[in-house]
Amino acid sequence: MMADPDALAAVDALQTRYIAALDGRNMDDWLATFSRDPGASYICTTAENEEAGLSLALILDDNYDRLKDRVTYVTRIWAGTFADYRTRHFIQRTACRHAQDNLYEVETNFTVNYTPVETGRTELFASGMYFDRVIVEGSDALFLAKKAVTDSSMVERFMAYPL
Amino acid sequence: MAMTNAENGRQPVIWPAKANHVPKEVFVRPDIFEEELRRIFYGPEWLLVAHESEIPNQGDFKTSRVGQVPLLITRDRENRVNVLYNSCSHRGAQVETAPMGNKFRFACPYHRWSYDSAGRLVGCPNKPGDYPDNFDRSDYPLARPRTALVHGLVMVTFSEAAPPIDVYLEGLHDSIAEVLAGNGRLRLLGYQKVLLKANWKTYADNDTYHAGLLHAAFRMLNWQGGKGYQEANARGHRVYVGELSLPEAVDRLHDPSLIEHRSGGDLSRGSVSVRFFPVSGMTRHLDSISIRFANPLSIDETEVHYTYFAHIDDDEDLIRHRVRQASNLLGPCGLVSMEDAAVFHRLHSGSRTPGDAVFQMGVTDEYEIPSEFGQNDESSNLPGWEYYRKVMGFAKAPAE
Repeated sequence: MMADPDALAAVDALQTRYIAALDGRNMDDWLATFSRDPGASYICTTAENEEAGLSLALILDDNYDRLKDRVTYVTRIWAGTFADYRTRHFIQRTACRHAQDNLYEVETNFTVNYTPVETGRTELFASGMYFDRVIVEGSDALFLAKKAVTDSSMVERFMAYPL
Repeated sequence: MAMTNAENGRQPVIWPAKANHVPKEVFVRPDIFEEELRRIFYGPEWLLVAHESEIPNQGDFKTSRVGQVPLLITRDRENRVNVLYNSCSHRGAQVETAPMGNKFRFACPYHRWSYDSAGRLVGCPNKPGDYPDNFDRSDYPLARPRTALVHGLVMVTFSEAAPPIDVYLEGLHDSIAEVLAGNGRLRLLGYQKVLLKANWKTYADNDTYHAGLLHAAFRMLNWQGGKGYQEANARGHRVYVGELSLPEAVDRLHDPSLIEHRSGGDLSRGSVSVRFFPVSGMTRHLDSISIRFANPLSIDETEVHYTYFAHIDDDEDLIRHRVRQASNLLGPCGLVSMEDAAVFHRLHSGSRTPGDAVFQMGVTDEYEIPSEFGQNDESSNLPGWEYYRKVMGFAKAPAE
């Protein structure tokens, strides 16, 4: 079933908040886009693993505790240990279906450019699709589950931030 | 003005007299890279290209490369593993382009020659007079390099001069089995593939050797400076065994399943790695079993496929645990290894300056190739460097 305009506006605002948090390297804001449901999840994997039915992922944060731990990795454990890079996310919603009650299934294309500090050159880091389950309450929306599936089977050098 | 290493590429390499020095130019000179392909990757070494559990069912295949040579690795209807050159026996076009899949017939699109999964030519559409009278399909299977299986590891060499595999891997069979869940009977969980902007030797030199000071997560988990040991033999193969202690309270992790140890076994050998000369290796760390298929693409690009496994007899819960641990612990985004790739890149960039990389940790005599190593010593790489020097034919400078 199609989503109504108010739900669509809430979903789009959530996606915008999500990419602004990542490009701003603000992991607390990133976490705040997820529901506090204990089963809330973020998974990043490749289309190659996905299509082969292989459940191993690049990032597998399949509960809210792991989402909190992701913030700790980036802000406390890894901070200062790697040559940083700036990211720039671009998204385009391609589908939004009303699943049940206040739950929506959303599909979104993404591209992410990155600019490593040491080269200062902007290049493509990843493109792919988000497959999300979003809870909408009034004008507010949160991710219950977010899955980023990259077109490339190959990570460029390393990946410190979620996509 | 001093020339950079990359610019004086035609000068012969003179290896430093000190055994703990490696000339940085070997990481960045394109002419040396070409020579490495010829002498090492296409020479009398065995290369690791697959584990048979990646193709568990009849008809399964994967494609791979050694240097720039494309390979097709299949499981045929008799359940045998075949390593075939991925090149049509007619005009040489690459036969299969998918990274993996399942099929019993591989067709070259050029003239529709097709092969079964054992590499036999089973179809070549032609009408009378097209081909020579004595043309016989059985003369045109896909060619194959020498192949060996060791605990399920699929090894190949393009050279008849390579020693038998049991000689090549002498003394390593038990360590390989220990990494591969005891016997190499594995179930594929998935891939984390990464393109490193670094020379293959930079990767090989630093992937098993864990710079304790680099890994912030190792410090947090108190995994640095623990008990353990390393072995390195004259062919440049290395074994690493490290004790892992599990902190009683992990105050920084809300979900400690990341570092749980559920598959049994002795945590005094909680982290075990085997690295083959020249570049690929395997590691079991807690319950995460990985084989790292590495291949050089150019002087400054190396592809590594971190490939993860469960044991074939694991129950659903243990498989799920291994997936959840391996996804987040190791590889190019893993808690304890994400910084590795970043450091590979910096090591490679720094190698474009003149002079030598100098090994210190564990070195007692600067002119001797060491044979005993502590758990955290970088000196365990030196036997491999000496082997590399000899294979490449680089003369050694006289001692001062």
